[in-house]
Amino acid sequence: MATYQYNQEALANLKIEDPSILDRLIDFESARLVHLKKERAKVDKRMSLKEAIATYVEDGDVMTDAGFAYVRTPHQAYWEIMRQDKKRLQCIGAPNTNHSFLIFNNNVDYSHNSYVGVEMRGIDRNYDRMLRAGRVKILSEWSHGGVALGLKAAQLGTPGVFSKQMLGSDILKYNPYLKVMQNPMRDDPDPVVFIPALYPDVTIIHCQLADKYGNAYIYGPTVNDLATAAAARKVIITAEEIVPESDIRNRQGTVIPFFYVDAVVELPFGAVPGNMPGYYYWSRQWWEKLIRLGCTSDENLKKFFDEWVFGVKDQFEFVDKLGGAKWIAEARIQTKAAEGDHEDIDFTYEEYTRTHDSGLYY
Amino acid sequence: MRDINAPANPLEMLAYILASQIHDHKVVYVGTGLPMIAGILAKKTHAPNITMVYESGGQDPLPGDMPWSVGCPFTWRKSPVVMEMAYSFAQCYNGYVDIAFLGFAQVDMYGNVNTHQIGKDLLNPTVRMTGSGGNNDLSSLAEEVVLVGLQTPEKFVKEVDFITSVGHLRGGETRKEAGLLGKGPVAVVSQCGVFDFEPVSKRMRVKSLMPGWTFDFAQLFTGFELMRPEGDIPQTEVIPEDILKLLRTEVDPRGVFTTMPTS
Repeated sequence: MATYQYNQEALANLKIEDPSILDRLIDFESARLVHLKKERAKVDKRMSLKEAIATYVEDGDVMTDAGFAYVRTPHQAYWEIMRQDKKRLQCIGAPNTNHSFLIFNNNVDYSHNSYVGVEMRGIDRNYDRMLRAGRVKILSEWSHGGVALGLKAAQLGTPGVFSKQMLGSDILKYNPYLKVMQNPMRDDPDPVVFIPALYPDVTIIHCQLADKYGNAYIYGPTVNDLATAAAARKVIITAEEIVPESDIRNRQGTVIPFFYVDAVVELPFGAVPGNMPGYYYWSRQWWEKLIRLGCTSDENLKKFFDEWVFGVKDQFEFVDKLGGAKWIAEARIQTKAAEGDHEDIDFTYEEYTRTHDSGLYY
Repeated sequence: MRDINAPANPLEMLAYILASQIHDHKVVYVGTGLPMIAGILAKKTHAPNITMVYESGGQDPLPGDMPWSVGCPFTWRKSPVVMEMAYSFAQCYNGYVDIAFLGFAQVDMYGNVNTHQIGKDLLNPTVRMTGSGGNNDLSSLAEEVVLVGLQTPEKFVKEVDFITSVGHLRGGETRKEAGLLGKGPVAVVSQCGVFDFEPVSKRMRVKSLMPGWTFDFAQLFTGFELMRPEGDIPQTEVIPEDILKLLRTEVDPRGVFTTMPTS
């Protein structure tokens, strides 16, 4: 069993008394063992979302986010984690902030952060409140590139990488996994940051297409997902469509290989209310209502999730609430127009504000 | 609706100054918000041959509507290649990116940036903000960095509450000694004008001021002692009317980033 030398200053600053909670994220040997025991045969791994979450997301797991912001993010799988009331998860909030809502719902107790917020729509007031109320404990602070390199190091099959990112910043004072060292190949002073390879327990990656064995094709930004899939101990693929294996072979593009994958879930609208390249645009007013009304207080957020998460059975009911077939048609045109695959359209819409709720959420 | 003939507001002025920092034929790394506006404005005006790079991996997209996220399709619209995130930042390390544009919640006299929090205690801040995202990566690796934001004494502070991204650290050669790449921040753009950094001390210095602004007035909007350039302070170029119209009709028609925030 490996033992670890964490950055002591960061442990003290983060008030982490028992650092063993940090071990699993960098425990290469146990990840390798899990990978060695994975199914090698091409077997049909299809199952329901309920079953996949129940089987492969376990209490206490280190889970990492996928996609980017509101693009190709497995929101519907996260809602299912909320419904199944998983406990004590550690979440790597990179590059997203979606675990903020799982903190509110008492599914996530620990966070590894590289970004907390909703870009132009401002700061994440829910995360801010959760942090100050002591409902989430920060285990490490990162830059986006730092996490990306940690996951990439795992995919590259290395114990870690040396980086020039984060040097001199306060991030280093709040990240037990990072250490500043002298570049061993240089005679002159050359500080570098050692970033260890990161091995999350579980990741859920939403793809456009997958076959039943788990070969999963991504269109649009893959961000960290190819690296994450290679690193994680457990990989759940949710896909808009399940296609024959030959379809994936013909594409030969950015594909997660089947033998990384534990579960395949056919989940049309799995990224709703976010954007799914090639399939649907994001639900702008929905996010505005969540951020501008939902996130402003615990009470409002509870009401919001009671309606949109616990008040619906699955993603189809969610889509019905967004506007059903009309929403589907419009959202498809919008994303194709944005991607340059449809004649340009007018993207004007009625923004949700506290004083104006059109009742339409797309 | 916006009055397209109204005088330029501070954000529109900022967008123009920022755009004017972009030279044609450069590879430009842009973050969310005003940097996007500036990049797109520059491309539509004096710098049609720039290549824009986004941290989600999109780069060199065909022109389209205003991106609402750095991951949204407008950042990778028909891009010849969409990079994985680690590779995208790596382009800065390897010398393929000329300039990066970044926002801040606080900036100090050495151009160090805070996007983490207000308050000193990470575990219990007064307000938790975004944290780094790609801000630190670009500050650490890009050849040149331009910072942009609205200026108040609370935002332009003597010492930032948290160093998310290192500018010139503690001045002098300290950025280099810390091991970081590139020149660090070369300019800070606010509604007061444009600032640069004095070459030896690396302290923030007034470079030009917006019409109607004086050094003393800018100092009132600053929480540390500003440096003064030698001689007369030039006036920052104001957004010409035709470009203002272009900004309002073609670049940010819904005013996503260029209308002043209301409560």
